[in-house]
Amino acid sequence: MTDPARSIPAPTLAERTSVIEAKDLRMAYPPARRGDPVRPAVDGVSFQVRAGEIFGFLGPNGAGKTTTVSLLTTLLSPSPGSAFIEGVDVTSDPSEIRRRIGLVFQISTADGELTGRENLVFEAGLYGRSPATVRPYIDSLLARMELTHVADRLVKTYSGGMRRRLELAAGMVHEPKILFLDEPTLGLDPQGRAGFWKYIRYLRDTQGVTIFLTTHYLDEADQLCDRIAIIDHGKIIASGTPNELKDRMGGDTVEVVVAAGASDVTSVLAGLPGVLELHRSGDQYRFKCVRGESLVPKVVLACERVGVEIAGVATRKPSLDEVFLNLTGHSYREEGEVRSESNGSDSAPAELPAMGGA
Amino acid sequence: MYRETVSLLRREYLRWIRAPFWLISGLLTPILYLVLFGQAFDLSKLIPPGFGGAFLTNALAGAPNYFSYFAIGMVAFAAVTASLFSGTGVIFDKQLGIQQRIVSTPSPRLAIFLAALLFRGVLTLIPAFLVVGLALLLTHIPGVAGLTIPAGVTALGVGEVIAAILILSITFTALFLAFGFAAQRVENYFAIVTLLQLPVLLTSNALYPVGTMPPWLQSVVAVNPISLAVNVMRADLFGAGGYPYSPAVYLGGLVVWGVVIGALAMVIASRSFRGTGSIDREGWSPTT
Repeated sequence: MTDPARSIPAPTLAERTSVIEAKDLRMAYPPARRGDPVRPAVDGVSFQVRAGEIFGFLGPNGAGKTTTVSLLTTLLSPSPGSAFIEGVDVTSDPSEIRRRIGLVFQISTADGELTGRENLVFEAGLYGRSPATVRPYIDSLLARMELTHVADRLVKTYSGGMRRRLELAAGMVHEPKILFLDEPTLGLDPQGRAGFWKYIRYLRDTQGVTIFLTTHYLDEADQLCDRIAIIDHGKIIASGTPNELKDRMGGDTVEVVVAAGASDVTSVLAGLPGVLELHRSGDQYRFKCVRGESLVPKVVLACERVGVEIAGVATRKPSLDEVFLNLTGHSYREEGEVRSESNGSDSAPAELPAMGGA
Repeated sequence: MYRETVSLLRREYLRWIRAPFWLISGLLTPILYLVLFGQAFDLSKLIPPGFGGAFLTNALAGAPNYFSYFAIGMVAFAAVTASLFSGTGVIFDKQLGIQQRIVSTPSPRLAIFLAALLFRGVLTLIPAFLVVGLALLLTHIPGVAGLTIPAGVTALGVGEVIAAILILSITFTALFLAFGFAAQRVENYFAIVTLLQLPVLLTSNALYPVGTMPPWLQSVVAVNPISLAVNVMRADLFGAGGYPYSPAVYLGGLVVWGVVIGALAMVIASRSFRGTGSIDREGWSPTT
């Protein structure tokens, strides 16, 4: 603390103001059949997203992710006092909230009969911006999303990746500081998904946009998000940074393979500090420890000392798959399938109230 | 409000201009009405010579010939038929997620509704006015029946005729737009529209004189908005002598229809904007 300039440090992530906040957020849809119990889609969800964060909402299909986004973005009405954008209750002035946030839907919402550029100009018009003033910004947005070469082609001719990028651009057309992305990479192949993360990171890193995204891809949450909340059956079951969540799984797994025919090093490895749950199968040893990478040099030295040659060492962080399995007691994939089925049957009568309103 | 409406209208226009079949069919339909329907249908030819005169003039509400009487009915007919498709765009917008995109923006809900009504309304008006123009033009072609307007039509009368066409078109556009906002599927929409289309058109005096109908049907015909519009037009153009009320009264009745249906359509549209609120593809309706 000798340098006075350092006495006012930049706010850490934890100190930044929360720009998205949910306080005991709840939502229940009408039951599929009269007499069926009301099944809450979102069941008392609370969290805060801080400025400049990429916050991930991870859960299987039907867990309540989209409903949460709908409640936070005024598409559904939450009860007053349960959802806030920049400290403003979303129920107090929905149209002001809509001005402050951008929204990227999980489905494609662009008009296929219009060009990409026309779609963006149309979208900007809905925010009260005239085509003439918004054109330069739209040009730069198209360039950043690498859509300039297809900007004047009809959207119906776009590839899946181009459509997703156009959706992202549409969400940014009024330059919001908060962006909601609902399953932004749904339907893209793994390569396309990894490519799309680049654009999301760009918005956060250079525009300072706070990003709330939902996903059911574990790797997406792991690699893209600063913090994650895991949602299942409408409730948050865990939250934290991806590493924090993984640390709860009892740390890393280290695998040591010794040269074929080398002598048993079980006692050598077991003697190292922090080694847990050591297993041997042939030339292969596997154990758990808190931080695998710091133990690897010690493993190598210890084996060298007893004259055993090491063929390979690998450390493995626990995956979010394991986190999910551990927290819910069921595997991720299996749950997603079961829930998406029940979601489908519940949605069938949704048409009736709307028709009845005619 | 203004910019949002213009932006919505611009999108509708871009979609429409890129669908050439609609364009051609929209322009050809009025011509076909007049050339096929209009030329074939001449009830006065069924009346033996010598029985015409006052009888015919009376039956045709003062129109100089059957085509003139019929042409006015066809103006209303063209407007109503053109309005039948007004709600389809809205359904496609809902199914393609475009409506969800639109309602997620701060754009005033009224702008969204008005843009749809305005654009579809103009598409309904075009064929109606085309029928008027073509019918007037046909008078000048020898051997072909055309719309003949007797001398003595006032400027107020012409104004009332234009107002009647405008209000009738907008009213029916609003009606079918409302069905579009209410329906989730095009199949449901067309089930309603085809069911409604026939009784609505046939319980009017657009195509044949009221005198031939039984009394119960006559009372239905009297309040049908198509009849009201047709009464305004025929009374103003061919003379108001045979009508119990003045054209302004019929126009007033038409305005009442317009306001009631317009308000109803607005309520249904705003429900639709909230109902598709969920960004779930299934389109949940919220409980709150």
